[in-house]
Amino acid sequence: MFSTIKMAIAIMLITGIAGAGVYVMKLRADNATLKANQIKLETAVEEQNKVLEQQKKDFTAILESNKKLNTLINTFKKDLQDLDKRFTKKNRDIGKLALERTKAIERIVNGGGKNASRCIELASGAEHTEAELKATLKSQINPECPSLANPNYVPFQ
Amino acid sequence: MYHFNKILAVAFIVLLTGCSIGGEKKIKIFSVEEPRQKLNYPMPTPLQMEEIYWHIITSENAEEVFKKLEEAGIDPVLFGITDKDYQVLARNFAQIRQKLQETNNLLEEYKKYYEDTGNSQ
Repeated sequence: MFSTIKMAIAIMLITGIAGAGVYVMKLRADNATLKANQIKLETAVEEQNKVLEQQKKDFTAILESNKKLNTLINTFKKDLQDLDKRFTKKNRDIGKLALERTKAIERIVNGGGKNASRCIELASGAEHTEAELKATLKSQINPECPSLANPNYVPFQ
Repeated sequence: MYHFNKILAVAFIVLLTGCSIGGEKKIKIFSVEEPRQKLNYPMPTPLQMEEIYWHIITSENAEEVFKKLEEAGIDPVLFGITDKDYQVLARNFAQIRQKLQETNNLLEEYKKYYEDTGNSQ
């Protein structure tokens, strides 16, 4: 009788210990999973922050680039208007002028052609000369494309 | 007592093996991002324009101009445009130059955006 009770107690004790062991193991596994989840979440948040930061940087870069291109296109419009003005300013008729002052107009046309060729070279990526960079006066600039040829020239408004 | 010891031994073994459950090492798989190779084309070589000479011919100086050409050993023939067409030509030239500048600028901006800010795709 006594040994049966002892055995029952022992079995209960062992079952209890085993149950506790399994329970502790489950807790440990849960803990490990939670830890892994926490690390994953932290990494995800960090990555999201990085993505947001990069998006912000990209947006600024795109805005800046757009602004630059818009300025360039406005400069183009102004250059074309200036070119038209040179031909038609004060009802100027270049044909009539050429009849009256043939040699002078020939000189001007050839000078203009040379300047226009230089503008194409610069537009295709040629390096500026020192004189082009230093030009600040109207008499020193390339009037065909001052914004391109003479970056330091500020036209008088 | 004998039974008790036996049961204790079994329980001890169960406990020991229980500790090894879930103890296997897991294979860790991680990926390393290999950045795409840069294209690195050099920028187009700048143009070198050749010089041309414009002759202005009127009804008055035509003979003189042709005579000078002959004296210089050049065929006395000229390909002419009117003053209005000259204006158009100047405008066309300006537009071509602007397009060239715009394209080069775009190229630089693309290069800057995708290479400087690390937005390689």
